[in-house]
Amino acid sequence: MFSGKPMKPTFKCYLPPVQTDVKKTIEPPIKKLEPKLLPGEIVVNEVNFVRKCISAESSHDDLWGKLICTNFKVSFIPQDVPSKQKSQLSHLLLGEHDIPLTCLEQVVTVNDTKGKKKVLGSNQKLKFNPTELILYCKDLRIIRFCFHEAGPESAKKVCLAIAHYSHPADLQLLFGFEYQGRRYHESKGERVNGSSPRGGFRTPIFDRSSDWDREIKRTGASEWRVCTINDDHNVSQSLPEYIVVPVSLADQDLKKYSIYFTDHRIPLWCWNHQNGSALVRMASISDPVQQKKIDQRVFTAITKSHPQRSEVVRSDLDKCLPNIQDIQSAFVKIRQICVIDPFEESEERWLTSIENSRWLEYVRAFLKHSAEIVFHLDGKNSSVILQEEEDRDLNCVVSSLVQLMLDPHYRSLLGFQSLVQKEWVMAGHRFLDRCNHLKKNEKEESPLFMLFLDCVWQMMNQYPAAFEFTETYLTVLSDSMWIPLFSTFLFNSPKQRAQHLKDFAKNKAIPQSEDQAVYFPPVWDWSQQFSTKDQTLFNNPMYVGKGAACVQNGEVKTFRRTKKTYSSTLRGMSVSVRNGTRSGEETLTRRGSLVSELKPDFSPVKVETPSERFFRDWFSRPVDQQGLLIPLLLPSHVALWKLYFLRWVPEACIPRGGPSTSYHKLSLLVDEIETLQSHLRQYKGPSPGSTPLPSPGGPLSDHRRMYFKASSRHNPPTPPDFLTSSFPFTPVGNLCRRSIHGTPISKFLNGARIWLSTETLNDTV
Amino acid sequence: MEKQAGAGGAADGAGPSRKLWGSPTGGPAAGETLDSPTGSHVEWCKQLIAATISSQISGPVPSDIANRENKARRRPDFMVSKRLTAPRNLPALRYGAQVIMSQNQVPLLPGETIQTTVKDVMYICPFSGLVNGTLTITDYKLYFTTVEKESPFVLDVNLGVISRLETISVPNQGENTKGLELVCKDMRSPRFAYKTEESHPDVVELLAKHAFPLSHGLPLFAFLYKEQFPVDGWKVYDPTAEYRRQGLPNESWTISKMNSTYELCDTYPSILVIPTNITEEDIKRVAVFRAKHRIPVLSWIHPETQATIIRCSQPLVGPSDRRCKEDERFLQIIMDANAQSHKLTIFDARQSSVAVTNKAKDGGYESESFYPNVELNFLEIPNIHVMRESLRKMKDVVYPTIDEAHWHSAIDQTHWLEYIRLLLAGAAKVADKLESGKTSVVVHCSDGWDRTAQLTSLAMLMLDSHYRTLRGFQVLVEKEWISFGHKFAARVGHGDENHANSERSPLFIQFIDCVWQMTRQFPAAFEFNELFLITVLDHLYSCLFGTFLYNSEQERAAKEVQTTTVSLWSYINSQPEDFTNPFYVDYEHHVLYPLVSSRHLELWTGYYARWNPRMRPQVPVHQTLKELLFLRAELQRRVEELQRDATSHSLSSSSEHSPAHSTGTPLHTAV
Repeated sequence: MFSGKPMKPTFKCYLPPVQTDVKKTIEPPIKKLEPKLLPGEIVVNEVNFVRKCISAESSHDDLWGKLICTNFKVSFIPQDVPSKQKSQLSHLLLGEHDIPLTCLEQVVTVNDTKGKKKVLGSNQKLKFNPTELILYCKDLRIIRFCFHEAGPESAKKVCLAIAHYSHPADLQLLFGFEYQGRRYHESKGERVNGSSPRGGFRTPIFDRSSDWDREIKRTGASEWRVCTINDDHNVSQSLPEYIVVPVSLADQDLKKYSIYFTDHRIPLWCWNHQNGSALVRMASISDPVQQKKIDQRVFTAITKSHPQRSEVVRSDLDKCLPNIQDIQSAFVKIRQICVIDPFEESEERWLTSIENSRWLEYVRAFLKHSAEIVFHLDGKNSSVILQEEEDRDLNCVVSSLVQLMLDPHYRSLLGFQSLVQKEWVMAGHRFLDRCNHLKKNEKEESPLFMLFLDCVWQMMNQYPAAFEFTETYLTVLSDSMWIPLFSTFLFNSPKQRAQHLKDFAKNKAIPQSEDQAVYFPPVWDWSQQFSTKDQTLFNNPMYVGKGAACVQNGEVKTFRRTKKTYSSTLRGMSVSVRNGTRSGEETLTRRGSLVSELKPDFSPVKVETPSERFFRDWFSRPVDQQGLLIPLLLPSHVALWKLYFLRWVPEACIPRGGPSTSYHKLSLLVDEIETLQSHLRQYKGPSPGSTPLPSPGGPLSDHRRMYFKASSRHNPPTPPDFLTSSFPFTPVGNLCRRSIHGTPISKFLNGARIWLSTETLNDTV
Repeated sequence: MEKQAGAGGAADGAGPSRKLWGSPTGGPAAGETLDSPTGSHVEWCKQLIAATISSQISGPVPSDIANRENKARRRPDFMVSKRLTAPRNLPALRYGAQVIMSQNQVPLLPGETIQTTVKDVMYICPFSGLVNGTLTITDYKLYFTTVEKESPFVLDVNLGVISRLETISVPNQGENTKGLELVCKDMRSPRFAYKTEESHPDVVELLAKHAFPLSHGLPLFAFLYKEQFPVDGWKVYDPTAEYRRQGLPNESWTISKMNSTYELCDTYPSILVIPTNITEEDIKRVAVFRAKHRIPVLSWIHPETQATIIRCSQPLVGPSDRRCKEDERFLQIIMDANAQSHKLTIFDARQSSVAVTNKAKDGGYESESFYPNVELNFLEIPNIHVMRESLRKMKDVVYPTIDEAHWHSAIDQTHWLEYIRLLLAGAAKVADKLESGKTSVVVHCSDGWDRTAQLTSLAMLMLDSHYRTLRGFQVLVEKEWISFGHKFAARVGHGDENHANSERSPLFIQFIDCVWQMTRQFPAAFEFNELFLITVLDHLYSCLFGTFLYNSEQERAAKEVQTTTVSLWSYINSQPEDFTNPFYVDYEHHVLYPLVSSRHLELWTGYYARWNPRMRPQVPVHQTLKELLFLRAELQRRVEELQRDATSHSLSSSSEHSPAHSTGTPLHTAV
């Protein structure tokens, strides 16, 4: 029915789906199933009459269609397109049934009749005809195709092609290089008379000294300077070209010291507290003799850069935090429990399984350690050096968490993105190895960035109004790691990035003067992936609402100002019943009664450490969500990030429920507030004293920031039926485990195990 | 890391206006809540809200709205004793139930009298160490305050919550020092040490007398309490009105007064809904065949399908498989009353093995061969003793300290959440049978007053959005629990010192936990909030209100509970704003099935672990929403004001303000 010829890629295919939808409806029942291809994308292999499994229990809802492997993705084109759920987040570059090859974790072929199963790698042979293909994805989806009606040979070919193309031999074979090259040339005409190169996004990339200068100025780090000794990566392969160092350290000395550090990574300034203390990250020195000497020089220089000449505290992360293998194995376990194990089985002793995976324990450990660093920087006015052997893994997590806790700037969307740029991308986190994009070395794979996102989510969960962005944003960001079209998550270091992009530019005949962000953009330009409307799902109504409140009062809160009120409350803080503190002691001895005598026997609390005291003082005060934030860290406070871990699990999806229902209500409310405010402004007319809203694009009716919009103030609508706990994602067809014998239904009838509420979705009275 | 809102911290903020915001505890109203009958736990909740709210206020704007809000809430009849005037001495959040106060003055409820005051008592706080102070015992509460003026500290425990009093050893202190532990029903056990003096009455004796008044021939405090409320909570539930709301009576069902003197069944309410075409004689025979005479009666009817939820007790089948023609016919009539289905489903809440054992004890279950077209399902829910044991284990997990490394597995080992899951799953099956299966359902366990009440009320909560409102939920509790004879007195042990009584069991707590789980899954579907649920549970024990006293309607009528005590709903409904969920959207006509999976069931730390200051959340989400609601109201007001101004201005001098005018006019329609 279909020619096996690869489709000729055209630029048209990349246009928004509206036109193609129209085309489809006009077409006759038996239609050509054509993939939507991006510029540079080619079809490698395809097979017809494939069944995509939707539900594990029955094949009733399964979709028939064509399975295609291109050099970018695995694409399934269903014969009958079901009416698409409006509510879902739709990706501009990927269809509902598409999986980028980079997103594949494991390609498994099964032959049911022969009882055979094989995990496919690159360039492998398959001795049986697969009846089933199961794709385990890095974004935790599990997608299953059946070939019972398909041509056995072509099915086999597609499986082998998918396996082969998902194991690229070389980084440059990742589709992004092809795509961005084509895109650059094809869109050139449009760009000539248009926007500035970086107009699409304003996230600092930190590949130029001005970005660092701005950061120094913003944090008031006057005793620090941008140093250029790593120009062209002359000193260190993995450091950025521009490094911020203490003013008192000369370039020559730095060069001299650099040879002793792992990978020549000299200390790298991250951030300055306004009290003058600095956060610095550094690799270790293997030679003990040199270490002592250089340490002393570095410490002295950092002390000199502190206005109070405070001492420097060093925190050796390798010694006190789980290593990358621990983290990887915890992630593998929690993934196993959440999505791979049969749902019913993992219901039993669920909390115990979660505990045994240790994932939440590690999340706590990183948050806790970061909070300790915050204590030194904020509570003790000490500069801190984060030390790790390579300074490219744990340091990334901790330094960015510390900055998130201390500096509300990083809790805005742009601030957060700049933080990831600064502490991850430019600091040389090995995204290529840790993501294992080339599937070459599993030992190097570790979900550190994912761990960081989970930590951020925990803080967001505890301080819901503190972040400008939502958990949807974090989830989408994590998914973007597996789409190889953006330069952000593809490289191990700025040097590797620069090298590859240089070669790439040469190969694709892109002028050397061109800005890299133009021909190979980072992920931060979200309009590449999502419509403006869908991007509003990133906006946290509570944060936006707060912003509105601030402006309403004619004051826009700044970090500095918040800080002031904070310390004034500190002084007033003396009244508390503490054990082992002065005020308590005095009363006790004065009375000379039972207390002092009983004390040794009944004091449950050990003598409080200064950091415990610092935290307790902080928690005893009302929270300013625009100020310093410290997460609560008992195991009961650290929760499983359900949207990320359970969004694809159909059995775990609450119809009409979940946090999205309150998100809905909040969005309506904030939208209404913004509308009212714009009315207020219009009545008042432009007054010189009024401050514009903190983020651009005020809430005018054509540019509203909420996904859900208020319609009528007197008639608050019920949350729409499509809201589920997975919103804006859908589990339908995205997680299909192999069916187990003895279906959940029978179990359910026997022993009241689980309520399958998906069975009874249509339940309006 | 502990949460304690020091008075100093709060007072140094943006001035008094900050504290007024959104909370009835603030400002001049402070005394009100101290004196209010809410009990210390509710105080704590409110203070938590107050403390967190004040942190989020960004400036002076809300103060005037807040002020108005406060005034609206303040009710003069609530103020009884001394006021706290200085803003610094506002009650604020402290460890446990402790409330900061400046004076060593005990706030008293109307009708409450001080029994004794003991000086130089040590409170052995598991979180902050030893606190020295004065202990006051009234006939309602135990009130401990520090002597220090600088760091006031209050612990307020109502006596109803005490399960037992234990003496503990105080090492090396000689004869006259005693230690006392109050083991409480609400998951805490405060401990004290004190010196005995001959002139003083014995503290333990006095506490025992007032904590267990029934064991000492004294009345429960509810009968002494003299508060007046503007709303009468006893009027909340009118059975006839509730049945009328459901569309009853109709051609198949009648509202019967057969039990008006409680002769037919002494644990049932006086008003029952039974099938129209069944004779009184037959009903009497059915009563004899059902345990405790608890015959099948209607609890709820589906407005469209006419499928019904019927509740009853187990049939007295016995080892010889007795039959009762009238009972068989009764169920047949119930089935026939629903034209949509030719089946009837019986949900027996018990474990099937237990149901079989019950046959030997003259109980049993309906045989499918004797009852045609009946389908019998066992829900496999363990009995009250298992639940009691489970919650006891939970207390060890959450109080006083937790094992951080094994927190999750420790919760698993209590099986508490597993039982919650069984209950919710059972109720969801009942609801689904009615909704999707359009089939009438009979629910029973052994006596039909424990698991049956849990299942029917949860199913009704899923099916009927009315019960998800603040008032509707009160009706649900009054109806399915109180009027149908859940043995509150026996299960809770009000005023009774026999703490080891095996009749005690936390069935109602389990129910409220299930409700809480549903509110977590559907944050916008319930009109009431978490504070409401906690308040209900606190007054389950407090014996301050008559609502949960006694085992049956008959007993309550005999004791004249409605005329001599105050209803909990009087208190709640006199200040409904405090108990309202700001997210609430009416899901009218929506059936809500909770997702009964371990993945979504959580331990309700806000209730079970609330005494541990380290376990508390820092910022509850709904605060922000409340704040935004105020902001919207304020903005709306100002827009309207400006609209008025603009209109009047444009009339007088249109040229002067033309820009504002031209943009301003079309806005009326845009909102």
